[in-house]
Amino acid sequence: MTAAIRLDDVHKHYGRREVLAGVSLEVAPGTKLGLVGPAASGKSVLLKLVCGLEAADRGELHVLGESLGGKREAELGPIRRRIGMLFQNYALFDFLDVAGNVAFPLEQRGGLSAGQIAERVDARLRAVGLAGSEHKLPGELSGGMKKRAGIARATVADAELVIYDEPSAGLDPVTTQKIYDLLAADHARTGATVLAVSSDVVALARFVDEIAFLYRGQILYRGPAATIADAPDPIVRQFVRGELAGPLAEGTA
Amino acid sequence: MITWIGAATARIADEIGGIVVMTWQVLRAVIPPRVDTRELWKNLYKMGNRSVPIIVLTAFFAGGLMTLQTGPFVKRLGATAIAGWGAGYAILREIGPILIALMFSGRVGANNTAELATMTVTEQLDGLRALSIDPVQFLVVPRVIAMMIMLVALTVIGDLVALNGASVVGHWMLDIDWATMFHSFADNLKPHDFMHGIYKSFWFGGAIAVSSCYFGVTVKGGAVGVGRAVNASVVASAVSIMLLDFFITYLST
Repeated sequence: MTAAIRLDDVHKHYGRREVLAGVSLEVAPGTKLGLVGPAASGKSVLLKLVCGLEAADRGELHVLGESLGGKREAELGPIRRRIGMLFQNYALFDFLDVAGNVAFPLEQRGGLSAGQIAERVDARLRAVGLAGSEHKLPGELSGGMKKRAGIARATVADAELVIYDEPSAGLDPVTTQKIYDLLAADHARTGATVLAVSSDVVALARFVDEIAFLYRGQILYRGPAATIADAPDPIVRQFVRGELAGPLAEGTA
Repeated sequence: MITWIGAATARIADEIGGIVVMTWQVLRAVIPPRVDTRELWKNLYKMGNRSVPIIVLTAFFAGGLMTLQTGPFVKRLGATAIAGWGAGYAILREIGPILIALMFSGRVGANNTAELATMTVTEQLDGLRALSIDPVQFLVVPRVIAMMIMLVALTVIGDLVALNGASVVGHWMLDIDWATMFHSFADNLKPHDFMHGIYKSFWFGGAIAVSSCYFGVTVKGGAVGVGRAVNASVVASAVSIMLLDFFITYLST
């Protein structure tokens, strides 16, 4: 079976800084992979590469069976339409209200009547617990509500691949659990492939099947989410357990 | 010192190159026209209608100032028949288009840069790209068209108000009667004096629009970067207005 995501020796530089130094990774269709790692280890960059928002300097990158290498912006459109993405900063369009934001991907893709779009938006907003907030602007929402609106927008078109960048950042533990329950329910409904980045390893581990640990631009470890705290690599163990003493270099966490 | 000059030259060349590329992208999007009409109407209203009061106020006093400066001399020389011509010629060909363009740059251009820059730092432009929407076509093109149309419209309004301001000041402060001022305008000012200023304002609108959008979408560095982008946009717009004014005037004389 073709992998939903396949990265082969992917490199990415910003100036002289090498953010990704030969990342190789495969994600099978319909599975959920979590990506963790210290701050500035390249997690968000990797997500943007997968979504085609950034181009790799070197290496092969295949998403949903299509190579992203050498593709121009316009050629990436058909692939991006099959991907839903929740951004770390929500990226809700502040010129649209909540319903407008959620309806936006459907309106842009076309093929649905205004009534059908309204129906799907209504259903999605009810599913994420935002019924009654349709006409609020993003600036009027709390952090949790923005996340929910972002999730509704990322999943409204039933994308084949859904990417979540820090779905629980800045949220309290109860809201975090609610958000992950929401993501799990959505995955159970659509069976989409999921790639999620989070600093909250414990909450993420309850949601995903596997976790990959990104360190200094490379995948240092990959294994079942349930046993990540007992990973054989001491750097991974120290990071997951949040221990101060250990081999994890200072200034990377 | 040489390093500093080299770095500054490279930075300026980089920005001019970026502005040229954006101009090319805008031209490609308008020929043949592919413009989001909802965004266009919204921007026409926001940039045009809401600028009318401030343009009317400044144009009225600028027109009055022209008569106030030239009036005493023409009265002393007994040449009140050309008082209106002097003020009108300056207003239509130079003061009107330049003053209104600078006001427009400060109010609309700066606001446009701040808005686009905020959207950039909050990943809204990436959000658009992730939905296969070209931010230049969706956000920049309607703004450029709206600014060019509205600056021309505001210049027409501003010219008329400034001529009225010149007449009012001539009548109330310098005792030049209404009929003399009117005939001075009507007999001496030619349609091409008016069109010369309108032609300038069209290009001023383009320069303000492209620079304000360019600095907005290329911002880096969060909130501090937004401030820097607004500053750079206002400076670039003012310099472009003055350079365009010089060359258009030079080529048309």
